[in-house]
Amino acid sequence: MASTKMKIKKSKGGGYEVMVLAKHPMETGLRKDKKTGEKVPAHFIQTMEFAVNGETVAQANLGAGVSKNPLIGISIPSAKSGDTVTVSWVDNKGESDSAEKAVK
Amino acid sequence: MKRRIFLKGSLAAGTLAVAAGAGMLTPTRVLASTWPKAAFESKTEADALNAFFGTSEVEQGDQVSIKAPLQAENGAVVPIKVMTSLEGVEAIAIITIKNPSPYTTSLQVAGAGGLYSTRIKMGQTSPVNCYVKAGGKLYLASQEIKVTVGGCGG
Amino acid sequence: MKKLVSLTLAAGLAVVGASGVQAISESEIQQEIEAFQGYFLKRFPGLTIEDFQDGVNVLPQYEHRRANWELAMEFPPYEPEMERAAEEWNAPFENGKSLNDCDLAPGNTYPVFDTATGDLRTVVGDINACLKANGEEVVKNVKRSKMARLVAHYRSQFNGERVAVDFSDSGAQAWYEKGRQFYWAKRGQLNFSCADCHVHNAGNSVRGDVLSAGLGHGVGFPVWRTKWQVAGKPWGTMHRRYGGCNKQVRAHPFKAQGEEYKALEFYEAVMNTGIPLKVPSQRQ
Repeated sequence: MASTKMKIKKSKGGGYEVMVLAKHPMETGLRKDKKTGEKVPAHFIQTMEFAVNGETVAQANLGAGVSKNPLIGISIPSAKSGDTVTVSWVDNKGESDSAEKAVK
Repeated sequence: MKRRIFLKGSLAAGTLAVAAGAGMLTPTRVLASTWPKAAFESKTEADALNAFFGTSEVEQGDQVSIKAPLQAENGAVVPIKVMTSLEGVEAIAIITIKNPSPYTTSLQVAGAGGLYSTRIKMGQTSPVNCYVKAGGKLYLASQEIKVTVGGCGG
Repeated sequence: MKKLVSLTLAAGLAVVGASGVQAISESEIQQEIEAFQGYFLKRFPGLTIEDFQDGVNVLPQYEHRRANWELAMEFPPYEPEMERAAEEWNAPFENGKSLNDCDLAPGNTYPVFDTATGDLRTVVGDINACLKANGEEVVKNVKRSKMARLVAHYRSQFNGERVAVDFSDSGAQAWYEKGRQFYWAKRGQLNFSCADCHVHNAGNSVRGDVLSAGLGHGVGFPVWRTKWQVAGKPWGTMHRRYGGCNKQVRAHPFKAQGEEYKALEFYEAVMNTGIPLKVPSQRQ
């Protein structure tokens, strides 16, 4: 799908910071649709997994309290130039997306 | 891809101790768990902490720091960054006290560093409590973030 | 408090009415630039002219909110969109050409006075004129989304270049005067002029918000706004923002790319002379 974007920045103390921008409505289930008056069902990313060269290094747990089009940032002190960072997320409806980027 | 061990539920100390004792976990081994439903559905901070960390006992100190605005520009998009230099970080959790479901988001760590950055929704001015579990202990940093009524905006 | 030269002049002209637009000379405009910029440098000591690129974020009164912007800028929300903007800009026309073949002026010189037509050229107008000239459909909504992305892509090529609008022609000077009158005239149920908020009250609070300085307005545009993002249309051009601002003082908004907002854009650009472009920007 490629709507999930990743940015990798070198950290001052060594290692890298990985920031992910996902495209997702993050609906709480409480908002009413203006046209129908019905509540828009809850629809939000639940888990987001970060891996370096295929090995998981972190998992973010998200709820509807996280902003629409979530931005998630972590640090990977052990990452090196040439490593591949992948991020993949799954939402409460089972929909998913992922992104991959090489550390420069 | 290394074999992953799936733990049901949370980082409750009991489960981890058993798993570690059984030789199923090592620092380089990957772990992934299911979405912490009980924590997300907790209505109080104490319940959320117990559900996710297995404890609500906090150590004194300033090992955790927060970068966040004192006042949000928009309550729907409040940026917050939690940092710590503690070793052995296991998890970071952000609790927005005045939100209907205080447990907002968390990061489970197995190789990554002690940093978690995101943007949260805030319904009103509230303290935001950021917890870090490291070396089996729980640490806290808190910041109040104000949510106000705008004056101009176009 | 010492008021700007402009205020007395503008107040007098406002009484005379729209038909009484007096001529203003190049040297008078030059004096007004110095007075305007000098006022803000004095009101916010410690800031340089370049600092005003970052709008309200740079004001000392914005300290309690600055982290919103600083954290947003760690991964600017407009970055993925700028990739899309580049693709849109480079997309070939039916005739094989693209927007790269358009006859556009350097981004830091807009709006440009056209001596042939007597009109003011804006980047928005030039993009649509170029599309039309090449047999392509013009972009209908000139305030947001695709047009804002195209303008952001074009102007960002000139980041770092200092604003340098040409006001040497008497026709340009007439547009300047029109824009200046607009800026200093009261309007709306709240009876505010642009200057009331952005000159006399720059840095002061309006309920929970802080008023930006007029100096630097537009240097970072098009803008990606959190407020607009939450409503689903994050991008906006100057004229989108002007409309919103006029509505906020309960004044009738003017048409995007109409005479009023083009004149206003011209006035603000002239006041920004010397400030380097920094496009796009992220604001609340």
